[in-house]
Amino acid sequence: MIEEPYRWVEAIANRREYIETQLASGSPIAAVGYRDGILFLTLGQARQKIFEIYDRIAMGAIGHPGDIERLRMGAIELASTEGFTRSAADVSLRRLAHYSLSPVMKSAFEQVYGPPYLARLLFAEIGLQPEEHLFLRVEYDGAIAANGATFAQVRQDFAVLSGTRQSTELMESFLKAEHAPGATFEAALKTALDAWSIGHMALQKDDGKELPERAAVTKHRQEQLATTGIEAAILERNANAAIRFRALSDKEARALIGD
Amino acid sequence: MDKLPAAFGQNFSGASEDFLALLRRKGLLSPAATPKGFTSADYFGVVDPTVRAPGPREQSWRPTEATTILAFKFSGGVLVAGDRRATAGNTVVYDRADKVLEVDRHSIMAIAGVPATAWEMARVLEHSFQYFRRTQLQEMSVDGKVRALSKLLRDNFGFVMQGMGMVVPIFATYDSNSNPEARLYFYDAMGAQFEAADYAATGSGSPAVRGILHYENHWGEKPLKELDENEAVAIALRALDTAAESDTATGGVDRTGKIFPIIKIVSRDGIMTLPEEKIAAVFKKSVA
Repeated sequence: MIEEPYRWVEAIANRREYIETQLASGSPIAAVGYRDGILFLTLGQARQKIFEIYDRIAMGAIGHPGDIERLRMGAIELASTEGFTRSAADVSLRRLAHYSLSPVMKSAFEQVYGPPYLARLLFAEIGLQPEEHLFLRVEYDGAIAANGATFAQVRQDFAVLSGTRQSTELMESFLKAEHAPGATFEAALKTALDAWSIGHMALQKDDGKELPERAAVTKHRQEQLATTGIEAAILERNANAAIRFRALSDKEARALIGD
Repeated sequence: MDKLPAAFGQNFSGASEDFLALLRRKGLLSPAATPKGFTSADYFGVVDPTVRAPGPREQSWRPTEATTILAFKFSGGVLVAGDRRATAGNTVVYDRADKVLEVDRHSIMAIAGVPATAWEMARVLEHSFQYFRRTQLQEMSVDGKVRALSKLLRDNFGFVMQGMGMVVPIFATYDSNSNPEARLYFYDAMGAQFEAADYAATGSGSPAVRGILHYENHWGEKPLKELDENEAVAIALRALDTAAESDTATGGVDRTGKIFPIIKIVSRDGIMTLPEEKIAAVFKKSVA
């Protein structure tokens, strides 16, 4: 039955709708570049959403914990064996996403008798220069969105991940307007927190197509900070250590925000 | 075509696999060597090849660990020092070898033995610890790290009995959750680990060094544990120079070429490699 082309397209559409519904409540994650590195930030207290993949690569994820775990393990395994047999410099996020993650996620998604990956992933790789920061978002169907790494596009020094398309787009348009490349860490932290708040507000109501008022964002941010924890991690462009990933504690992050 | 996506196969093995097993599964690391003329029962015997039961393939067995490595605890953490000479028989092959290797932010493996095997071991260890931290989302314990090195040595023992690839390392680490915080271990070639209370030495020049460290620790101006950094560096340099006096395989300090030993210090803040100028200054003041 499913062999008929129409049925297959229908099955895929149903599956897409199902996955979108499942992911819709995922708390947003913002990744922004700053003067000395890249910051990942989200709020929540259920489970860890930001992970170290390799020396220069970090990952944020929303979705089913089991699927996130399988993808995370796979990514670490690939990066580690590549880094061991060749060198850490040969581990590249572009290859990891394009040659390994994307095809695997696509085929799981399209094989309608098997389970798809219920996960949406956000990766960042730190380069030698701020212009070399690479951000990639990998969808459950294997689609990849990059921060404009090719040709004459304007590069963006940020990337976001959220439960719905609307929330994602609002966060992106906020960061496009507010985030300055080469910002200080404190400034980047505040911008990322505001972007998170905007994304989170958009998840809660369906009608918001416009960016909310600044006062409303601040209010929402303060309300959320009072009840949930900050999860943050940085990739530092510090040349002294091979491993650039460092998780920030809630306390450390709050001290820098100062509200 | 690369088989990378296979890592996501149905029989994905999950979290319990360690990095060594992963490498072997992917064919990226040779399997553990079986000693020739040995049965598994021999593994549990005394690690002294000279008392091995005579087998049909009796061969002369000679340790090749031409080097001097020393480590001791002092007030600022653990100091690990090694000379720079690499030899093959009577020939000096290289005079800038680095035998004191960092395997993670708080662990050092210093090696006496065959460099090819030792550097590979250090590489495997480094990646194993990182792989563990990344997959399990927690740092490997000191015991786990010490045991990982032990397992590598045991896997290598077959090669050692065939006369190649012997490695006798020292492992120094600092863990703020353990007591004492500074930990120092030495090993035999088969992988037995021994925790050192104050100091450890390995390599062909180690008898002389052990003598000096024992003397300093008991009858010196103060015990090794109470030395400050400059005093500790001075003693390490004196010990290496003494070892080089009688052991041709130890480089000591090359005064003409201005080649100094590698000295690293492990403390709560991580690993610090002493800059050459600093070593030269201490050498000029307290040793030369």
